[in-house]
Amino acid sequence: MPDKVPANDAIDLLLAQHARIEELFVLVAGSAGDTRREAFDDLVRLLSVHETAEEELVHPLSRTLPDSDALVDDRLAEEREAKETLRTLVDGGVDAPGFDAGLLLLRTAVLTHARYEERYEFPRLRAHVPAGRLRGLADAVRAAEAFAPTRPHPGTESAAANLALGPVLAVADRVRDAIRDASS
Amino acid sequence: MFNPLDHKGIPLDDQIRNWRELNVEPIDPEAVDPYTRCRIIAMNGIEAEAIMFSHQFARNCGDDDVKRQLAYTRYLESQQQRVVNWLLPGQASVLETTLGYEQVAVDLTAWVARHEPEPYLRQAYEFGVLEDFDHLYRYANLYEMVERRKAEKIVDGLTEVMPGRPTVQEHRHPFDEVRTPYDKDLVDPRSKLHALTILAAEQQVMVYYMNVGPQYMEPIARQLYQEISLIEQEHVTHYESLVDPGESWWERLLTHEYTECWLYWSFMEQESDPRVKAIWELHLQMELAHLQSAADLFRRHEGREPEEIVGGSGLPEPLTFEPNKEYLRHLLATQMDLNKLGEGYVREAHERFEWMQQQLHAGEQPPSEQVIEQHRERFGDEYRIETEGPHPVESLRAKEGGRSA
Repeated sequence: MPDKVPANDAIDLLLAQHARIEELFVLVAGSAGDTRREAFDDLVRLLSVHETAEEELVHPLSRTLPDSDALVDDRLAEEREAKETLRTLVDGGVDAPGFDAGLLLLRTAVLTHARYEERYEFPRLRAHVPAGRLRGLADAVRAAEAFAPTRPHPGTESAAANLALGPVLAVADRVRDAIRDASS
Repeated sequence: MFNPLDHKGIPLDDQIRNWRELNVEPIDPEAVDPYTRCRIIAMNGIEAEAIMFSHQFARNCGDDDVKRQLAYTRYLESQQQRVVNWLLPGQASVLETTLGYEQVAVDLTAWVARHEPEPYLRQAYEFGVLEDFDHLYRYANLYEMVERRKAEKIVDGLTEVMPGRPTVQEHRHPFDEVRTPYDKDLVDPRSKLHALTILAAEQQVMVYYMNVGPQYMEPIARQLYQEISLIEQEHVTHYESLVDPGESWWERLLTHEYTECWLYWSFMEQESDPRVKAIWELHLQMELAHLQSAADLFRRHEGREPEEIVGGSGLPEPLTFEPNKEYLRHLLATQMDLNKLGEGYVREAHERFEWMQQQLHAGEQPPSEQVIEQHRERFGDEYRIETEGPHPVESLRAKEGGRSA
């Protein structure tokens, strides 16, 4: 089913991505075999798209606000740490021993990071950045989303499309280019 | 049945906990039995009531020895409350905890209504539960708008999400919220435990909403918390008026401690999370000593036995968090249009009700209606979880474009 939620601004889109990331974690944790592999690929790709969008668009915008450098530095540190865990999980694959424990670790780190953003970063942006600017940034987030998995549940059609995009972790560079094109 | 009056529990001098013991590991923010969250929220409300009751008692007590004894037990109860409420994870948002509060209000009140022996009191619970049921639906729609997440994540299909008695219709003249109390000398002891449990739960909901509401920036969120917190206030009036005001302070203290024993014991019996279960068990052992202390005060000051107040046959059936879907659907089908007048229940909109509605709404839609309208505008439908079929009241079925989980 297509996502019917009309997104008003970049933050709305990022919130919706947080929700989808949470759902994918539940799906990966509760599945096995090919379903799990596909769900995990989707998760990795979406995380990559999401974090790149935040690094390119949201955090730089936050830095323009007074007294926000420390807050942004903390978010970036969390993102770096999550990426390390993610890389270990991707390298080992879903069948590796310790995948479940690593997944749980990653999920808690990502969830905590997302909640910090929702509690301390997004409200400041909504309060201080003109609404029109945040709406304008939504286009760049959408450009990034073009690289995110499109299947709400694992399916062959979009799996092929996703495969064509190349290795999951390599997606970040292409997302970054797309965002820069859309914002320029 | 387990009789808490027969047990000594952990000696009061051994009950003070250090920082390490107070620093409890919270429950998992995602993979959690929704009813574990419900038990934590319910127990937090009970402990908060125990603390506030003890403060009120102390302010009305001229005996310094008793005041010191109350202060000591109150400190222990405070530590219990901190441990229980600190089981909630920091990652949970205010709205997620709110959805948990409403799930508690629905399934706790429904269980109590089903087990209340006195028909007049049962009616009071049946009336109230349909209102909290509606709040769950309003907040679920707000949740998707503000956080882009679905209430399914919190209630997990155990509780349905759809309109109850519409919140807009819940604003009545405060005169009509006051009920007739039970008679402390005639009523079944179970009824005393039920009334105190629901009163404590609703009071906690009221205090929570009236304090967290302004933390939101979104105007609709601020307004909805304001509206529903006013209803919860009326629920406290509704439930507290069921309790016999003729009960002495000693008697009330005894009932409070006995109720806490009943709930910790109930939750210990059914808890699915072993770590949380250990806390319920520990707290039960602590409460047994609080009860002994209250029983001693009662004997000394009233010259009566505690069994006269709480019965001598032990605790009643354990209070259980479980789905109440069929029961709620039955109530929706039969009591949706019920209103209150004086101390009774009526079906017509009476003059005092209309007057209050005009004063408050002043010709405008309240936030509880706006939230659904805004959700429909932004998402094209409203958020519901109807697992057992369409809404039992035809006029409240989802309109065209409705989406049901």
